[in-house]
Amino acid sequence: MALLRKAPRWLLGAGLLLAFDLAGRSLVAAFALPVPGPVLGMLLLLLALMLYGRVPRGLAEVAEQVLRLLVLIFLPATVGIYFLRDLSGGDWLALITAMVIGTLVSFTLTALLLNRLIQRAASRQRENTRGE
Amino acid sequence: MGSEWQRWLDQLQQVAGDFLQPLSGAHPLVVLPLNILGFWIGLKIYRRVGSPLLHPVVGGSLLVFAGLVLLGVDFAGYQRGSGLLYLLLGPAVVALAIPLKQNLSVVRKVGWPLMLGLLVGAVLAPLVAVVIALLLGGSKTVLIALTTKSVTTPVALALAQEMHGIQSLAAGVVAFTGIVGAVCGPSLLRRMHITDERVVGFTMGVNAHAIGTVRALEISALCGAFSALAMGLCGALTALVLPLLVTP
Repeated sequence: MALLRKAPRWLLGAGLLLAFDLAGRSLVAAFALPVPGPVLGMLLLLLALMLYGRVPRGLAEVAEQVLRLLVLIFLPATVGIYFLRDLSGGDWLALITAMVIGTLVSFTLTALLLNRLIQRAASRQRENTRGE
Repeated sequence: MGSEWQRWLDQLQQVAGDFLQPLSGAHPLVVLPLNILGFWIGLKIYRRVGSPLLHPVVGGSLLVFAGLVLLGVDFAGYQRGSGLLYLLLGPAVVALAIPLKQNLSVVRKVGWPLMLGLLVGAVLAPLVAVVIALLLGGSKTVLIALTTKSVTTPVALALAQEMHGIQSLAAGVVAFTGIVGAVCGPSLLRRMHITDERVVGFTMGVNAHAIGTVRALEISALCGAFSALAMGLCGALTALVLPLLVTP
């Protein structure tokens, strides 16, 4: 019985996700935007939720399940790396070094910068409130 | 909206059609359970061992790959068999708007530091990688594939097409980058005594896109929200700027 009551709510949530995905794709296709459709769909849904003021319960529940299965949904794209064979040896070395070292370097620098910026913004806010 | 709706229906019909094909190694009824089994066992192992090196993204994909080799299925067949999961890719990206909305007030508080961090991170991630590859004498194919390494897969695939790069290479580079970021990132930051979940999440999203976001969601909803925000913005920014810089 509980399932029967939940089903319409879930269907509505899933329908909303699909509708915004399609809306994003259609807009991208119609105006030849360089942004990918689902990303635009996500921004549109965010905007709609901000205007609506809260997240509908069914949508929140469906999204939670989908996000829990995100690894599974991205699995086909992930498995692709084991099938990369059409590269020369030197290219492989350059590629893997660039991916590993490059990612770690940019990761560290981004985090350090962001940490510094957020701390500075927080301390400035504190000074402002003290000043008032 | 008509034509995209039509295309989605066509895709759905094709996936349904694949189910009616005669049974083979690449049949959806073989490939989908293989995916689910790989994911599920990968998750179990990860929970038991607890090492980020065995994150389901790594363990699960290795298990699936092993299964494909045993069954003698090639990548094209596997992709076809996984059609149902590809259909869910778009809605899954859209679903990232929900943690974003739920944490919006926290995000707003640190608006402009985030924008600056995004700008620097989005430029830095491909730049550092391309410079390293250039120093090691990587070919143009490799360099182009690296420019989209830190954006989420659907964005990278669209960009690779636009720049005449190799799509499977771009997808592979994206996945590998995401794994490196998701596996090493959190412990790296902990070692540097950066524990602010907002910083961890945003850095994960900028550098390790969706796979980083999956990992960030495991840390906390707040961390995941910042990661989803960073991933969306970084994807949009890269998608807008990169085609202007890299002319085919």
